[in-house]
Amino acid sequence: MNQTVTIQIDGSPLQAEAGANLLAAALEAGIDIPHLCYHPKLSPTGACRLCMVKIEGQKGLVMSCAVAIEEGQQVTTRDEEIEDARRQTLEYLLAEQNEEYDGTYRDELRELVLRYGLEDPARRRYPKLTGLVNRHFDDSSPVLSFDGSKCIKCFRCIKACGEVQGKHVLSFNDRGIGSYIIAGLGHWSGSECDGCGECIQLCPTGAIVEKLHRDEIDLSAGQAATSDPPALHKVRTTCPYCGVGCQIELFVQNGRILRANGVEGIPPNYGRLCIKGRFGYDYVHSTDRLTAPLIKRNGRHEEASWDEALELIARRFNEIRAAHGPDALAGYASAKCTNEDTYLFQKFIRIAFGTNNLDYCTRLCHASTVTAMLKALGSGAGSNSIEDFAKAECLFITGNNIIETHPVTATFAKNGKEKGHKIIVCDPRWTPMVRYADVWLQQRLGTDVALLNGLTQLLIEGGYVDKAFIRERVEGGLDSFAALQQQVAAYTPERTAEITGVPAEKLRKAAQLYGGAETAMVVTGMGMSQSTSGTNNVYALINMMLTAGQVGREHCGIDPPRGQNNVQGVTDVGCSPIAYPGYIPVGNKENRRKLADLWQVPFEDLPAEKGLTTIEIAQAAGRGEVKGMFIMGENPMITDPDLNHTRKALENLDFLVVQDIFPTDTTPLADVILPAACFAEKEGTFVNSDRRTVRVRKAVEPPGQARPDYEILLDLAGRMGYDLGSYSGSSDIFDEIARVAPIFSGINYRRIEQQGIQWPCPSSDHPGTPTLFLDAFKTANGKAHLVPVEHIEPSEHQSSDQPFLLNTGRNLYQYHTSTMSRRSPALNEYSNSSYVLMHPKDARQYDLEDGAAVRLFNQRGEITSTIRLHDGVNRGEIFVPFHFRETAVNNLTRAELDPDSKIAPFKLSACGVEKV
Amino acid sequence: MDYSAIFQKYAPLHENLLMILHEVQSAEPRNYIPPEAVQGIAAYLNTTLAAVYGVVGYYSMLSAEPRGRHIIRVCTSPVCRMNGSFDLLQALQEQLGLALGETSRDGLFSLESSECLGNCHFPPSLMVDEKLYSSVNRESLAAIIDRVQTREEAPRG
Amino acid sequence: MAKSKTPSNINSTAPQEAPVLIALQNAGKIDPANLSEYEQAGGFEALRQALQHPPEKIFQEVIDSGLQGRGGAGFPTGVKEKLTEESLCEACGPKYVVCNADEGEPGTFKDRAIMERDPHKVLEGLIISAYAIGAAQAYIYIRGEYTESIRRIRRAMQNCYDAGYLGGNILDSPFSLEVYIRLGAGSYLCGEELTLLESLEGKRGYPRIKPPFPAQHGLFGAPTLINNVETFAHIPYVVRNGAQVYRRLGMEDSPGTKVFTVSGDVQHPGIYEVELGITLRQLLETHCGGVRSGHRFKAALIGGAAGSLVSEALLDVPMGYQSLKSQGAVLGSGAVIIFDETRDLGEPLQSVMEFFRHESCGKCIPCRIGTVLLEQMAEKLASRPAGSRGELLNEMTREAEYMDRTSLCPLGKSPILSLGSAQRFFGAEF
Repeated sequence: MNQTVTIQIDGSPLQAEAGANLLAAALEAGIDIPHLCYHPKLSPTGACRLCMVKIEGQKGLVMSCAVAIEEGQQVTTRDEEIEDARRQTLEYLLAEQNEEYDGTYRDELRELVLRYGLEDPARRRYPKLTGLVNRHFDDSSPVLSFDGSKCIKCFRCIKACGEVQGKHVLSFNDRGIGSYIIAGLGHWSGSECDGCGECIQLCPTGAIVEKLHRDEIDLSAGQAATSDPPALHKVRTTCPYCGVGCQIELFVQNGRILRANGVEGIPPNYGRLCIKGRFGYDYVHSTDRLTAPLIKRNGRHEEASWDEALELIARRFNEIRAAHGPDALAGYASAKCTNEDTYLFQKFIRIAFGTNNLDYCTRLCHASTVTAMLKALGSGAGSNSIEDFAKAECLFITGNNIIETHPVTATFAKNGKEKGHKIIVCDPRWTPMVRYADVWLQQRLGTDVALLNGLTQLLIEGGYVDKAFIRERVEGGLDSFAALQQQVAAYTPERTAEITGVPAEKLRKAAQLYGGAETAMVVTGMGMSQSTSGTNNVYALINMMLTAGQVGREHCGIDPPRGQNNVQGVTDVGCSPIAYPGYIPVGNKENRRKLADLWQVPFEDLPAEKGLTTIEIAQAAGRGEVKGMFIMGENPMITDPDLNHTRKALENLDFLVVQDIFPTDTTPLADVILPAACFAEKEGTFVNSDRRTVRVRKAVEPPGQARPDYEILLDLAGRMGYDLGSYSGSSDIFDEIARVAPIFSGINYRRIEQQGIQWPCPSSDHPGTPTLFLDAFKTANGKAHLVPVEHIEPSEHQSSDQPFLLNTGRNLYQYHTSTMSRRSPALNEYSNSSYVLMHPKDARQYDLEDGAAVRLFNQRGEITSTIRLHDGVNRGEIFVPFHFRETAVNNLTRAELDPDSKIAPFKLSACGVEKV
Repeated sequence: MDYSAIFQKYAPLHENLLMILHEVQSAEPRNYIPPEAVQGIAAYLNTTLAAVYGVVGYYSMLSAEPRGRHIIRVCTSPVCRMNGSFDLLQALQEQLGLALGETSRDGLFSLESSECLGNCHFPPSLMVDEKLYSSVNRESLAAIIDRVQTREEAPRG
Repeated sequence: MAKSKTPSNINSTAPQEAPVLIALQNAGKIDPANLSEYEQAGGFEALRQALQHPPEKIFQEVIDSGLQGRGGAGFPTGVKEKLTEESLCEACGPKYVVCNADEGEPGTFKDRAIMERDPHKVLEGLIISAYAIGAAQAYIYIRGEYTESIRRIRRAMQNCYDAGYLGGNILDSPFSLEVYIRLGAGSYLCGEELTLLESLEGKRGYPRIKPPFPAQHGLFGAPTLINNVETFAHIPYVVRNGAQVYRRLGMEDSPGTKVFTVSGDVQHPGIYEVELGITLRQLLETHCGGVRSGHRFKAALIGGAAGSLVSEALLDVPMGYQSLKSQGAVLGSGAVIIFDETRDLGEPLQSVMEFFRHESCGKCIPCRIGTVLLEQMAEKLASRPAGSRGELLNEMTREAEYMDRTSLCPLGKSPILSLGSAQRFFGAEF
């Protein structure tokens, strides 16, 4: 920490950190020094020369963006000479400008022109030089356009793309007055641009603007000329896509969202967004939205009133409960819904259904991770903050295609890389992060345990064992470590290489980097978890981490970034067959009594036993044991493994209610469909991947008769004869969550108005917890557990008629079942159809060429798709994204579950491929 | 064109970009960096297209557009100017029909101006490809051009 | 006639006393491709001596010599300022030595001469400097158009590797050094030290913000000593003869010799190494045979484009870094372009303004726009008759002053040098 010093700015004292940037400190203190090329999140550029000041004892004008603060500096930010020079600089700049302003964006140059009274061309000294400017116009990008005649060459877009997003897609071409911004080989199309729009957000003059919706802005509604842009009002909320929880500003006019920006200056994203966050909001206003309750009559869904629909649902659920008992009912919650929605959902299921048959998509993604982490570390949540991705000296990223699945988190990883940090990627398939990796371990599918045991063995061999850590922080200390040591001894580099296909020298390098780093984080994802050995995979990872002692300190630990926007929150608030809100176990009398008291319901009315998990519910439905279901915002007909089986199970139900914002592949099976409000239409909170409770705010009205989920639940419960409580609004619901779940005790809406707080937050004066496990693990005695595990050959393997192992996953441009993302034309321009990644040599062997239409098949089902050659997949392995409903890849996956966590192995299915 | 022999001479580090660009350009008969080369170099150096293409665009010796097989660079800095560099440009216009920045129709020559070639004691100077010529006048210029043309025609004839 | 002169007979006009030659000591006397000829002329003796001493001693010797950077571009910076304590810190990771051989200042051809005629000396200076600051890697950044210099340096480098002056355990000492050649590709600005570092990293030639200086944060972010070819060529002399001997040469505040490159309207244009403190008149008359026959001296552009246009009023001022500065001129790179009475000074000014416009990178607004405005005004200036354009020159000077105060790097600060001096010394003519 640098010392605080005092400087004088225009005669007033300012306290600042020695060595800090003068311009940054001045701006932060509200001292308005004009600037154009400077942006708080970029390195100083020194291009615009407007931030000039005088410093006593220094010659001439100095640029405040290039001055480090020193004790006693006497700074003058304006006098006649300075202001004259600024005016001249602006006049110079205006000589290059065409000065067309259409009012749809903020123009910082225009603001300065007005401020310095330079708007009248007749009063300017210099001839227009616009003929010499390269008026390069590029609208080849699906999402943005560049107009060289508006560009002031400030470098902000280039640095936004490079320094912030780590992509470096932009540069200048030529030099001098003729220089202009280019992407790729001179055009955005064909460049590496992935459409995140960081450049748009940081462009000060509208030279780079988004294409979408700008023509819909009603300029007559303009107010202050210098607001941002004039005619729109802004609502701060949280991005509805992945678990990063980016803070966004929605720009709204006449009840429509017309733009989204990242919120600058606050965690977790500090203004950064990905393409989905910035351009993926079109679904909100889609004409496909569900706008009225629908009741299935004679096989057709017909519009009905809320009264009619809810009365029908109440009657049918009550009938099933009365006839077959509470456990004949079950519910799926959704990680897309708010904490308030899902908290009331679990309360509804536990009270109105009277069962713990309650689950949601976490079972499909991180159940195994959470199971292993709970046992080994006492908490299934990520231990670190998203910013730590830029701070840990080494990132060990395994089974996580982080650039495509958590694009904004990945930007922090890239920032770290540019500081010289190391990145290890373990993935059977090339992912974009490989480009940034120091070493890529390309193991065969299904060999993670062997790989990680082999690395643990190498850590031991290389002397990277943190004995002091193990002695103090691991259960059984060095004795239990000895057991691990003995167990992994068999995973010599040679044997590991044989099982995994990863050369021994790469294993050695990875072990050196991870073990030798001062601080290191492991990052795990679906590649690890969605496996029949998912829990064991994570145990093996934790063993490796504990061996090296790379946890329990700042910038160390384990992070499983959450897939959905609110996966973390929905588990936190208790949508689990085994846990009440705040991870309080079900099946314990004391816990049940406490909850009954808090909820003011009789103890007996709360179900005693643990409930069924997602796939177990479907299986029970298939057997006729579960007869009625309430699905709030999930789409199992795309997401669940072995879809043909899922369909049979759901068809077998006596009564199915689906509450959603869109018709999905599941809604046709529903007896009643209820229209819900989406994230932009309600108040609430999400919890992101770094356990941060962030606000969701209403920006527009729900379409038609759609209502917020929690309102529907309260209404329905009442009609079923149960009182879930009375709440004045979502804030009130959150206060109850904070009472029930101790991890949230100190959080309320008021405290998270400006920025979110990371749980655990036990009291209202507690700042939240950026890093878990610093003092103790969350296990009963505070110690971590080593759980030695063996590599087991997967039960599916290549055979002569099914010669490929199928891996599934996501890409950057679509989101999960793409119910939301595919309604954004911009996203579809990047990716709108299924593909099969196949190694070129395999393709040659099977006589398939790039673009060939193929049928993928196995005993469970078949799909058709298109071959895309890619040498980043292993021979004998293929990859298909699961976004595309017309090519629902889960027709091919299986429901053979991981015994510990009941997760399904989406990442490994044998299949055959043939040309169609 | 296969650039792998050039790449092999340099470690895949960004600092080697200019050297690789120089070599690629020299190896290309038309004295430029074609888009495929930018793609190949970007892939080899594990960098982006713009990081390569933007560099090509900055440096005046590098070109993203095809040029003549031979580059004539006439020094137009103060001393050569005082001693007739514009006259040389005029002569080239007459002899080859080439204006500054142009490439001859037969693809043999491109004419460029150059900043000071560091040969001010023998003005005016020009370079043809890698060779520097001192105290050039109309007659010696014609001879220089003629030599290149003859050399070019020889193998074909 | 100047034009009949061949490169081998430079310095043929011997001055009165036996001159001390440093950078050009061997020029024209030895085969530049032949290492043993360089050795026979005392080459690499300095390196042998240096390796007998701790690096700090060599470092101190260079500082004590008062040797100033021989680069030019209007901002001479000596080794003294460049080396900070940080760059000597053992534990602070890699350090680099960079030789700036991106000579591009119009009228300057001294580095080319040194590299082509005595390339081993440049390398010896570079190797000693690397030893002094503890660098294990060095780069020579040579202007892309200097094809002959590139060949000669390459050859010399190979000789040095073969003879054990480069590579591992140089002369059986613990000191090792790798040298890499990097070529520029047509950018004057890349001769500016911070921009050169950007270019060395494979980037567009944009100047960096100062501070940090290269000594703290240079190539790849590491402490870097960057010097001009001529500066490195002085190092062996300093080490062999000691700082005190070196200081006896030249002026009190500008010790040593300097290579001047004289061109334009003189009898014998060429390359002349002389002690600093020489006057322009001495240089012209003693060494260059005076102004071309039948003509009178009118002006000299000293320092190239980033230099000043001086009149006969300065003919008798001893030329040193400070002495010229105090007269409103600069020494710069040592380029001297002579104009006789037949020349209109609007022409060189136009040429210089075109040059700056062409070489402006475009990063900062004052230089990007200012160089265009100056080029446009200079075109008018050159086309108008003398006597009618004083106000235009004043206007140009005002723009250049503004550019000087506000530009990011030396390029934008340079037009004032020629314009301001033209106004001062030749105001009446305009």
